[in-house]
Amino acid sequence: MMLREPEYIIEINEKMMDLQGIIDDAGDSLVSNLEERPDNLKDVLTERCKEAQVSEELIIEMSVGALIRYQPFASDLRALTVAMKVAYDLSRVCRYIRNIGEVMEDLGVDARSEPDVLSLIKDARTMVGIALEAYFSKDAKLAMRVIKDDDYIDDRYRTILRKYAVRRDLPGSVMLFIGITARIAERMADHAVYISQEVIYLTTGRREGYR
Amino acid sequence: MGADVELDVLSLNAWFGEKQALKNINIQIPRRTVTAVIGPSGCGKSTFIRCMNRMHELIPGARVAGKVLLGGEDIYTEMDAMDVRRKVGMVFQKPNPFPNMSVEDNVVAGLKLSGGYKKGELGRIAEKNLRAVGLWDEVKDELKKSGASLSGGQQQRLCIARALAMEPEVILMDEPTSALDPASTAKIEELVQKLKAYATIIIITHNVQQAARVSDMTCFFYLGEVVEFDNTKALFEAPKNPLTERYITGRFG
Repeated sequence: MMLREPEYIIEINEKMMDLQGIIDDAGDSLVSNLEERPDNLKDVLTERCKEAQVSEELIIEMSVGALIRYQPFASDLRALTVAMKVAYDLSRVCRYIRNIGEVMEDLGVDARSEPDVLSLIKDARTMVGIALEAYFSKDAKLAMRVIKDDDYIDDRYRTILRKYAVRRDLPGSVMLFIGITARIAERMADHAVYISQEVIYLTTGRREGYR
Repeated sequence: MGADVELDVLSLNAWFGEKQALKNINIQIPRRTVTAVIGPSGCGKSTFIRCMNRMHELIPGARVAGKVLLGGEDIYTEMDAMDVRRKVGMVFQKPNPFPNMSVEDNVVAGLKLSGGYKKGELGRIAEKNLRAVGLWDEVKDELKKSGASLSGGQQQRLCIARALAMEPEVILMDEPTSALDPASTAKIEELVQKLKAYATIIIITHNVQQAARVSDMTCFFYLGEVVEFDNTKALFEAPKNPLTERYITGRFG
């Protein structure tokens, strides 16, 4: 049953969309840098992360304020607790994106020659995007699809590790870059799963798995 | 009936004349818990708790069908009505101390009526129950004053002490804080939690936040039927019935 949402939840979700925009910007900056290698990536991503953190704190503040003021129950209560967790997850995803940019700049690696990692990062971003789509549309089936896709990302991550563990022709910096960024991408996908688990709780009241 | 069930309500129906107020109620109230009864006005909440101590039958034209087992005995066919009301005490919306009695006499009024107690013994019982409701320190120097001289919140706690003095197995509370200020309400809510050490509590409230604060179980009534009966956390976090969801989120009607 879909009930009309109270105004305070609509306002919180508008802020969540702003936060999604920040994460998308950060992700776009990262991917275009991975592909084109322009300068000042770290600065750009650090700025996006600050904005994401401010946005996360605003969502938490609004949610706590609504809990105090309205003392909501049932789907309204779940909407607020889920909003706080999703805001945290998105902020965390932004920091992961920054981490990848930092690793790339610190190691001076040209990521264009490492398509495996590049596509893993893109897939993890896609999972986050679908998880958010499920959140905004309260679509438990879509959220469940993200949870199932996590196995695919985990397999890809392990495949990359196995593939590069035996390579002797690559410099250490490239090996480090691949190992670290593949792991970070896999963690980004985990947060897409966490968001999806929250969507299932939001829509059904049941917990699907644990963080 | 399980050992942990205080009241077993089986196919309970109640009428006021031709109008059916309760329809086929089947619930089990666990022993030594607080059960909140919620629902919109006219849904049958008060009728329900009045059926739990046979007060419904006192209304002209009212009747009851079905069973209410207290400790395994049907209160309608196997117990005397007075015995039921001794074992199932009641606290009303507005505090109703006996105005012509002292604070102390108010507490032990029921025991005096049943007889067999010595004066010193009644004094000790009054003190014990005034302590149980957190009123002793406030009234110990005014025990001979009229119960009506206390504040509204103190009067309500006095009425609870009076119910408690009968050592009931169940205490029914019909919106016990609706006439009280926030501070007195908070004291009663705190007290309700403590009272379950002594008796099973069933409390009617229109305030869903209060139901969530004070109860272990919550029962949602609508149009004379039980829509949902579950532990309070489950019912307020993820109700199973859409009607419950609409009521507790304030989207009713």
